[in-house]
Amino acid sequence: MKRKSIYGLAVVMYLMTIGCDNTEDGNYVDPITLYEKVNGNWGLANLKMVDDFAKANKIEPSEQNLSTYFNYEDFKIKFNVDEKMNPTSYEVLGDVPPLFAPTGFWELSSDFQPTNASGPVRIYLYSDAQKTQKTDELRLTSVPGNNDEMELQLVHSSGGSAFVSYVFKLNAIN
Amino acid sequence: MKKIIYTILLALLMVPNFVQAQENAGAVGPMSSFPVVYKYDEQVTWYFDLSGTTFLENEDLYIWIWSPSEPDAGNWENSSDFAKLHYEGDKIWSFTLTPTAYFSKTPEEIAASAGFWFRLKNKNGSKQSDVANLTYTDFSSFYTANEVIKSYPSKPTIDKPVSILFNSNLKAGFTGVPSVHFHSGLNDWAVLQEYQAWIPEVSEKTKLKDLGNGFYRMDLIPQEYYNTEPGFVMENITFLMVAKDWTTNSGDQILYAGEFIPPPPPVFGFFPLQISQKDFLGMYRKNNESGVNKLIYKITAGSKTIEGEISGTTSEIKGFVNLVSELKGIPNLSEIHVLVKDNKDKTISDTSIPLKTLDK
Repeated sequence: MKRKSIYGLAVVMYLMTIGCDNTEDGNYVDPITLYEKVNGNWGLANLKMVDDFAKANKIEPSEQNLSTYFNYEDFKIKFNVDEKMNPTSYEVLGDVPPLFAPTGFWELSSDFQPTNASGPVRIYLYSDAQKTQKTDELRLTSVPGNNDEMELQLVHSSGGSAFVSYVFKLNAIN
Repeated sequence: MKKIIYTILLALLMVPNFVQAQENAGAVGPMSSFPVVYKYDEQVTWYFDLSGTTFLENEDLYIWIWSPSEPDAGNWENSSDFAKLHYEGDKIWSFTLTPTAYFSKTPEEIAASAGFWFRLKNKNGSKQSDVANLTYTDFSSFYTANEVIKSYPSKPTIDKPVSILFNSNLKAGFTGVPSVHFHSGLNDWAVLQEYQAWIPEVSEKTKLKDLGNGFYRMDLIPQEYYNTEPGFVMENITFLMVAKDWTTNSGDQILYAGEFIPPPPPVFGFFPLQISQKDFLGMYRKNNESGVNKLIYKITAGSKTIEGEISGTTSEIKGFVNLVSELKGIPNLSEIHVLVKDNKDKTISDTSIPLKTLDK
C-alpha cells in the first residue's frame, strides 16, 4: 500500500515536470493588432455634435447631443476582417443620415496604437476593395480595451480648420 | 366552464382596444387668483398658466377636482359644462367659482380638507395635466392682528393682483358707514384714481368689499386699475381709506412696490456656427414668450426647399434639420437661406448662411 502511494506520487511529479516543459513565453505569438480590437459589431452609446469653431472661441453652446435624433438610437457599424485579420468591408446598419458612406472597405493608418504623439489612428474608408477610392476618414479617438468601448470621430474641416465634428461612442455587441 | 374561461380571456385581450390612449400634457404652470385673498363663500377666479403644456391655444379644457369634493364624479370621459374653463388668451385659462357652492361644503369643511387638488383635462379625458394643487392664502389672522392695513402680497407689482385689507375698527368714525372707498395714486400721487363721490362709476370702482364686522378689502391689478402706460415703473401706492362722502378717513397710507422683474429676453441661435451641406443644422430659442412653443422653418438651398417645424416649451425649443440627407449630392451650393417663424407667425430669423466647402 505504501509503495503504491510512492509510485503514484512519482507519476504526479513526472507529469507536473512534463507539463511545465513547454511554457508559453510569447516568443512565437504575433502581437495583437488594432484590427483584432476594432473588428466586429458596434452599437451606438452616444453621438455628440461638437462646434469646433465655437469651442475654439469659447462660445457656448459648443456641443449638442444627437443620440435621440434621426434614428441614431439604431446606429450600428460592423468592421469585417479576413482570417488573417486583414481589414475587408464595413457596413453601417440602421436607417440614419449618411454622415459617411454607409458601406465600403476600410483600413487603419497604423496596425498598432502609436506610442508617440502622432495623434489618433485614422480609419480610412474606401468605396472599392482595392482601396484606391477614399470616401471618408474617421479618427479612432478611443481604442477598445477590456471595457469593450470605442470612440470614433468624424471631423469636418475647411481650409485645414476643423469647424464641426461628430463623436460616436460605441459599445461592442456580443 | 372552459367556455367561460375563454370568454374572460378574450375580454381581457380586448381591454386595451377600449382603453383610450392618454396623453400627458405636462405640469400646470404658475397659478393665481383674483382676488388674491378670499373667503370660501366668496366668488373667486383661478388662473392657470398652461404655456408649458401641450394643450392647444383656445382648446376646450375642464377642471377635474377631487378635493375638497368631486363635483364632476363619474364624468371623466365627458366632463360637464359646469367644470369648463374659460380661455383668457396667451395659453392662460381661468375658472370662476364660489368654493362653498361648487363643492357643496361649508367654509369649515373646506378649511379642514386637504386643499384644492385637481387635474386639467380635455372633454373626453384623452389629454390631461399632471396633478396640481392650488394653495389657499388664509388671511383670518388679520381679524385679530390689530393692524389697520395689510396687503397681499406685501409688496405689490404693477401687473399682478393685490388685495389690501382694512380694519376700520381701529379708526374713528367708520362705525356704521354705508361704504368705504379707496382714494389713491401711484408714485406719491403722480398717477391718480381719486374717490370722486359725486361720480357714480368712480364711486363704484373705488368701493371696497365689505367683509363684515368693520373689515374691508380692495382688490385690483395696478396697471389695469390706474390704466398706466406700458413700461411704467411703479414705486408705491399711496392711499387713504375714505368713508362715503368723505365723512372720515384712515389717514395717509403707503405700500411700497415689489421689484418688477422683467422676463429674460428670448435668445435664438443656430448650431453650429459654421456649417457645410453635409452637416445637421440645429436651431434653438430660449425664454420664449407665453404661448410660443414651435419654430416653423423654411430652408431654401438652390432649387430645393426644406420645410418643417420644431416643437418645445416656452423655456426652450430645440431641434435639428437633416441637411446631410436633404442636400446630398446637390452640386455647387454655396449658401442656404433660412426663414424661421414662431407659431404666432412672428419672424424669428430671416437670414442666409454660407456653406463651408469640406477638405478632401
